[in-house]
Amino acid sequence: MNWKKIGSFAIVIILIPITLAIGVVLFKGRKYNIISIAVALLACVPNLLFFEKGKADTRRMVVIAVMVAIASVGRVLFSPVPSFKPVTAIVVVTGIYLGSEAGFFTGALTAVISNMFFGQGPWTPFQMFSWGILGFIAGLPVLQKILKSSVQGKTLASRLPIVVYGAAAGVLYSMLMDVWSTLNMDGTFNLLRYLVLLGTGIPTTVIYIVSNIVFLLIAAKPIGTRIERIKIKYGI
Amino acid sequence: MDHFSSYHPSVLLVYYVIVLLLTMFTVHPVLLVCSLLGGILFFAATNPLKALGKNLIFYLFLFFLLALTNPIFNHRGETPLFFMNDNPVTLEAILYGAGVSVMLIGIMFWCKCYNQVMTSDKFVYLFGKAIPKLSLVLSMALRFIPVFKSQMKKISQVQKTMGLYTSDSLTDRVIGSIRTLSALLTWCLENSIETADSMKARGYGLKGRTNFSIFCFRMDDGILLAALGAFLCMSGVGYQQNVFEFYYYPSVSPIPTGAGAYLQYSIILVMMLFPSILEIKGRIQWKLLRAKI
Amino acid sequence: MEIIKSEDLSFTYPGQEKRAVDSVSFKILPGEFVVICGESGCGKTTLLKLLKRELSPNGTLEGEIYYMGTRLGELDDRTAACEIGYVMQNPENQVVTDKVWHELAFGLENMGVPTPEIRRRVGEMASFFGIHEWFQKETSQLSGGQKQLLNLASIMVMQPRILILDEPTSQLDPIAAADFINTLHKLNRELGLTILLVEHRLEEVFPIADKVAVMDRGRLLLYDTPRIIGSELKEKYQNHPMLLGLPSPMRIYQQLDARDDCPLTIREGRDFLTRNYQKEGRIQSPEREKPVRHREKEEELAVHLKNIWFRYERALPDILAGVDLRVRKGEIFSILGGNGSGKTTLLSVISGQNKAYRGGIKIFGKKIKEYKSGELYRHNLALLPQNPQTVFLKTSVAEDYKEIGKVMGYGKEELEEDIARIAGQLNIQELLPKHPYDLSGGEQQKAALGKMLLLKPRCLLLDEPTKGIDAYSKAVLRGILDNLRKEGITILLVTHDVEFAAQISDRCSLFFDREVISEDTPVSFFSNNNFYTTAANRMARHMYPYAITCEDVVALCRKYGRKSI
Repeated sequence: MNWKKIGSFAIVIILIPITLAIGVVLFKGRKYNIISIAVALLACVPNLLFFEKGKADTRRMVVIAVMVAIASVGRVLFSPVPSFKPVTAIVVVTGIYLGSEAGFFTGALTAVISNMFFGQGPWTPFQMFSWGILGFIAGLPVLQKILKSSVQGKTLASRLPIVVYGAAAGVLYSMLMDVWSTLNMDGTFNLLRYLVLLGTGIPTTVIYIVSNIVFLLIAAKPIGTRIERIKIKYGI
Repeated sequence: MDHFSSYHPSVLLVYYVIVLLLTMFTVHPVLLVCSLLGGILFFAATNPLKALGKNLIFYLFLFFLLALTNPIFNHRGETPLFFMNDNPVTLEAILYGAGVSVMLIGIMFWCKCYNQVMTSDKFVYLFGKAIPKLSLVLSMALRFIPVFKSQMKKISQVQKTMGLYTSDSLTDRVIGSIRTLSALLTWCLENSIETADSMKARGYGLKGRTNFSIFCFRMDDGILLAALGAFLCMSGVGYQQNVFEFYYYPSVSPIPTGAGAYLQYSIILVMMLFPSILEIKGRIQWKLLRAKI
Repeated sequence: MEIIKSEDLSFTYPGQEKRAVDSVSFKILPGEFVVICGESGCGKTTLLKLLKRELSPNGTLEGEIYYMGTRLGELDDRTAACEIGYVMQNPENQVVTDKVWHELAFGLENMGVPTPEIRRRVGEMASFFGIHEWFQKETSQLSGGQKQLLNLASIMVMQPRILILDEPTSQLDPIAAADFINTLHKLNRELGLTILLVEHRLEEVFPIADKVAVMDRGRLLLYDTPRIIGSELKEKYQNHPMLLGLPSPMRIYQQLDARDDCPLTIREGRDFLTRNYQKEGRIQSPEREKPVRHREKEEELAVHLKNIWFRYERALPDILAGVDLRVRKGEIFSILGGNGSGKTTLLSVISGQNKAYRGGIKIFGKKIKEYKSGELYRHNLALLPQNPQTVFLKTSVAEDYKEIGKVMGYGKEELEEDIARIAGQLNIQELLPKHPYDLSGGEQQKAALGKMLLLKPRCLLLDEPTKGIDAYSKAVLRGILDNLRKEGITILLVTHDVEFAAQISDRCSLFFDREVISEDTPVSFFSNNNFYTTAANRMARHMYPYAITCEDVVALCRKYGRKSI
């Protein structure tokens, strides 16, 4: 973390509460749907900004574009099967092998790109943030190490971390997206509605979890070795 | 200009942001109905009737669902209709549910139209203005997607003719498609390096990169933008005068009336209907022009 | 002043002892059209990349390169990026953005050119290259030839002073390739652009080149005008494998003893033969062999198509319309034809990837429908696709081979034996442990063919087997196919490559207007065609109408001797 990065995070840490405050004052605390979109967008800013201002390694950029495209193609490919999507898994693997920023970037951009096929809307910022943050967390140095060795692990026990992360990612994704649904349906955050949505969404969440685990177990290793090979061969 | 979509992308974006914010901002029934009307009409003007019908049926269903289920989550309001599990089901809650679902459906229709009007190149252009590197990655990813799809088809056909996983069992098919995906990934990653080289060879990474676009900002764009600005100011005045003030709880407030309010409503209606009016006008004009050929 | 000057340039890749480029010195003057030729792996591409600073590989560099008198390393970034243009081999991979107009503007954006200026320059280039018709299209909708033209145009908008091209036509079909070369010629002639080109397809470029450089194992053997190169090669390097890649007139000249100027074009070659070898009276030989026209019995046929109709979707037009095809067991059958005529589709129908909506296909006398799940691909039919990269799934060639063994249910020993045998046959033992993507184009092709052979097919379908490989690899491939034929494997290939088909086939045919027509032996097939025939035949047909390969012409000329003067 250099000062630039800290700076961009600081901006957000200041900006988000200000947005919230303005929203509450201006809209008399009733327009949480608008405020939440603004917050979700702002939350994406530091990572996107950091990528934007960072040194331009062209090869890395192209590789990220490839991962975004693959994740989007995966989402389109599996569109007949509801909720069973490889997107989270691909984003997580990108985070593990190319680092937090690349993970966030891939997740956020996949939301933007694949929604060009599925439809953009106020939910896009939420998906950007949700997928982004899942990729980001996977790439955090501590977790990255554990997950990387887990991806390459041979025994069932050694692969446990990746399974746990896949499951957690499914739950987190559901929880984040249901925040949006609640705000969208109520205009305010109605806890009961949120809980009911989470409850009725359990089957979907289970599919998220299963698909994450399945795709991570089967695809993480081949994708990982391929990214590693490229990194070594071309010095990314 | 004959088509709404031929406006400059930035003007289109401003228009959409205003429409969506206005729709989400308020629970005022007149505004919501205006927005819904605008969205549906614009969708109807740019889509076949069949698609419109299908959507309308789906959203009608959603409307009733939301209106009727809202009382389960909200028990506020002064007019209980009946009691369910000792909780009051109030008229206000039902009306609030109806209001919110009108908002929701309006947003959905506007988003559908948005996707048709804001094609990917406009999107990339807008991003490029603000965050150039990100927009370049977007553009590259958009190029990769069709390439990947066709390569994927090639790979899976070739694998099939090698007799790999041709049996029709589900597991074989799933394993087969995952293998194809990973072969595809190798192919993309290895070949993407050459793309990066081609970028470097053309000077990517030099300081002072500009952004080129084929979109021109014309007179009409300026006029619409000015009109939107004026509209925002008017709305601000309306907000000050509490024209948009509306609440459902504890009891449904009366809809503001009076000359000022009616003026505001009509301006909003015109603004919401603007794209569909333009579209219909364009179509009539084209028919007349074609008659001359 | 020379635009590029290299002084005693050497380059070694990290971890390797052998120099990839070895003490190379040359000068390129402004406005020159220079062609570099040599076998695969002779260091051509490395040399080109060294001249383009942004692409120069990691490794040890000795010697100096000057651009307009300045050391390449001391050039400022803008000049280096802008004035030295570089076009690569694969048309697909060089495209960066999703829209044609954006691709054209990409380089100028990087240079920081303001929008109105970009608009003007892009417009100008699009008109010059005839791109304006597809200016608004998505880049993924373009054909290979269009893509490569777009790549060239998007370099040209940056107004380079020298254009470096690394085998730009190797992935294109002959017509698109000729168009591309013509465009280069036009740029050179009309704009005085300096061009440095590496090419395998020398027939078109030799006549227009000012200088030719011949490279061998990292060294610059010769650097002179094409005609002098022709004579020098004849004097000094009689049996060098590189000679295989020369244009037909030059190859025929190489092998004959006439002391004359080296011919570069077909017309010059024709004059050369007339001047030196045409005798009084017309020699009619070899006598045209009368093909035995018998209707093959059903059991003699490997592939039998009867009135096949196919289209991709109900609303689309027919790609195949009443195709009849009879391929005999144990023969090599070539189908020639233009690009996009449906040859590949025909193969996909024969191999069962797509289903014909009308007509019957029999493979070894059995209807294609009666082969149950995958049985067709077990010891019966194998298809080598155009792009060998689609064949590999694993991280090394050996692993890919082993997987086939698993799928086919070979025992461990049997598999190892098979792999060893096939690797020996194709001479690819040293490729086995390598990653498929680390191989060159020709090596990838051989490795992919090896994978197909592991399926032990009785019939092998090849789709454009000579695409993107050099003359030497072609000769090797010919040897391999010849051996397979001796083993009794039936081979059906579709190709643009007239010369290759003439050399290898037992029978040839033309795919035209959605049908396979005029099946015949190569000799009668090509000698009956006026236009669609080999360069050697076009050159010698006024004397020996039935000579279709360079070897035929050389043999006849030797047999009947020189004109006595």
